[in-house]
Amino acid sequence: MRKTTKALLAILAAVIFFQLACSKMQMPIDNPESEWLSGGSQTAFDGGSGSFSHMFSGMTTVQNRVHEVGDGQFSATFVTAPAPLNPGLGPIYNNVSCISCHVSDGRGKVPGTGESAANMLFRISIPGTGEHGNPVPVPNFGDQLQPRSTLGLSPEGDVSITYTEHIYTFSDGTTCSLRTPDYKFINLYTAIPSNVLLSPRVAAPVFGLGLLEAVSEADILKMADPNDTNHDGIKGQANYVWDVLKQQKVLGRFGWKANQPSILQQVAAAYNGDMGITNLLFPKESSEGQTQFSSNPGSASYELADSLLYSVEFYVKTLAVPVRRNVTNPTVIQGKNLFAKTGCIKCHVSDLRTQVNVAFPQISNQLIHPYTDLLLHDMGEGLADNRPDFDASGRQWRTAPLWGIGLTQKVNNHTNFLHDGRARNLLEAIMWHGGEAETAKNNFAQLSKKDRDALVAFLESL
Amino acid sequence: MKKAFKTSLMVMIPVILVAPACKKNKDKGTDVTVLKTEILKDISVNVCTDSYVDMLDKANALQSTVTALTTTTNDANLTAARTAWKNMRVTWEQSEAWLFGPVEADLIDPRIDTWPVDFTQLDQILNSSAVLTEAYVDNLDDALKGFHPIEYLLWGVNGNKTATSFTAREKEYLTSLTQNLVKLTTSVKNTWSNGYNVQLSTAGNGSTEFATQQDAFIQLVDAMSDICGEVADSKLKEPFDSADPSKEESPFAKNSIVDFTNNIKGVMAMYQGKFIVDGKGIEDLVRLKNLSLDTEIKSKYTAAISALGAISVPFGQAITAEPTKIQNAMDKIAEFEEVLDGKLKPFLQQQVQ
Repeated sequence: MRKTTKALLAILAAVIFFQLACSKMQMPIDNPESEWLSGGSQTAFDGGSGSFSHMFSGMTTVQNRVHEVGDGQFSATFVTAPAPLNPGLGPIYNNVSCISCHVSDGRGKVPGTGESAANMLFRISIPGTGEHGNPVPVPNFGDQLQPRSTLGLSPEGDVSITYTEHIYTFSDGTTCSLRTPDYKFINLYTAIPSNVLLSPRVAAPVFGLGLLEAVSEADILKMADPNDTNHDGIKGQANYVWDVLKQQKVLGRFGWKANQPSILQQVAAAYNGDMGITNLLFPKESSEGQTQFSSNPGSASYELADSLLYSVEFYVKTLAVPVRRNVTNPTVIQGKNLFAKTGCIKCHVSDLRTQVNVAFPQISNQLIHPYTDLLLHDMGEGLADNRPDFDASGRQWRTAPLWGIGLTQKVNNHTNFLHDGRARNLLEAIMWHGGEAETAKNNFAQLSKKDRDALVAFLESL
Repeated sequence: MKKAFKTSLMVMIPVILVAPACKKNKDKGTDVTVLKTEILKDISVNVCTDSYVDMLDKANALQSTVTALTTTTNDANLTAARTAWKNMRVTWEQSEAWLFGPVEADLIDPRIDTWPVDFTQLDQILNSSAVLTEAYVDNLDDALKGFHPIEYLLWGVNGNKTATSFTAREKEYLTSLTQNLVKLTTSVKNTWSNGYNVQLSTAGNGSTEFATQQDAFIQLVDAMSDICGEVADSKLKEPFDSADPSKEESPFAKNSIVDFTNNIKGVMAMYQGKFIVDGKGIEDLVRLKNLSLDTEIKSKYTAAISALGAISVPFGQAITAEPTKIQNAMDKIAEFEEVLDGKLKPFLQQQVQ
């Protein structure tokens, strides 16, 4: 018995050796909690164009079906009411379906010159804070600009984007060009106050959010250091935002400024603000109170069935995280070490563990590698939108998760990064960091070109 | 959008067991390395690019019949236009088995094949005083252009429209819709024939889109299983589960089952490397290494096509009249998807680097 086992092991070892010797390793075969598995047990073994769209494994038949229903709903095109299917679009809106901004469940592309902003939106407000600490909506516009409307009505307006390039020169003489966006309102349907605050936001990838939602509040707050008591120059502050169902302020986790507390509220807000679909959480049309809609008949009930809203929440919650690639590549390993050494990892935290959840084992007690602390950080003047959002200041942004970032080209056919997509590649995105990240950015800039390339190669492997 | 996601083990076990076979070699006189390149080239040129060339021919044919119909509005010309629409659908629905590349990246798919139609706004357009040029149509929301508004205008909401009921505004809209469809079809055809075909055929050999041949083969098999999932789990299942014929896609022409059948036929076109001209396909690699897998794929395919063929009335009626036949079709397509996703994909992951 024992002998047989040994022999089998030897054969297996030899087979594995052959495998290693004659092809690039594609699959993790060692420790199940190895760093290959960005999403813990909910890691999808695909590095292709559909790699953001895999559902969790090991769910029940019913859960799989709810995910599928949510998937269908995420893709569903809404049309003007009355209609037999998906009615309720508008009257003002940004887009007609979830998928048309979150293409392939991924990242929005910024428009080229002369194109309208289809995959991004503009948050707007006037100075001050609302009753829940929220940004104050702009009279006649609300808190987001809707550039489309149903026929016969006026869209709120649009924004034209121009960029100014400036060259950054590294100490070794190599350069990279950084572009600063400038935004101008155009085609407004009515005058907008001159003190309006504007914040551009591209559509963010939607996978892995169920795992991020499952990280305990205590674990997130443990990473916060709002007074910089350890004097490392990095603070990390929680945002506290209004929870519509609980009717109280709670920890914010999602969105570029952590201004949404839950996947459910994020989804419901997007239906309402982006498509004009009223729902359980947001039953009033986004156009309500605007002059051109004063005669718009209000509807007695809201437009999206609760079951469909919850199915989309579940769909997003149960999208798996793509597996890492090339983890054992020496350049990637070098890049990973530099990522830690330069200090990037202080905010882009590599290891988090989700809390125990006996009701939903897929998200329970998982070691995940999202590369975020889900906290707000001052990112410097260069990236500031100067538009506060609950407790987030005009210079603060939530640390963006980096998992899957190396697949953006494959999934979305572009490499626009940061909240407004100004960075055209990962190098530019790094070089835009400032504020609390100034030291880490400078550490990076002082590396040799070979080392900088290695760090980018590491990011590409995520 | 959805992919059935299997755990690593199913993939890993065969990978480990078959691993020593991954060295490049000549098998039974066939140079496998050359074969893989040929397969990618033939699928790229003979299947994908040729399908868009064919689709453009059919779009032009549709435009001619629409011109004839709007010039001489009689039932014979209406029938001709409907036939031309259906002919073009055959190619488009097959091409949904390779729904990647320009057709996705350039947002061609949503602009030509969005469902549902926005009836309310469509009526507003017809009743408005706007000049319905192609440029006007191009600026409309996706739910107001492409195949389905054309279908709605040609068949009417109950599928029984006659030539005498066409209004001048409908003719104006129909003309511009068709011009817009020709324009978008031209765009996707040009992007494939002027460059994207090379991206696919040079995968792993200089392609900037596909770093390895494996990336390309996985893209192909994912596209093949995706369309099966789309038909089984969405296009058939959603109207069926809710017993709601209003959820049917292509309801005016009563063409849904034909559409679904062509979706599945597209999968076989990829597998065999044959859209019109026969070339090397994925089957040539499978037959060389695993004849029983080839047999299984083909028998699952045949079963799926026969199950769809057994549905004898339009889908909207079959939801209530032939539920067991619809259930059977969904099951058979799901089984076909399962073999593509659970067996063909791991096979390609082992065989192609």
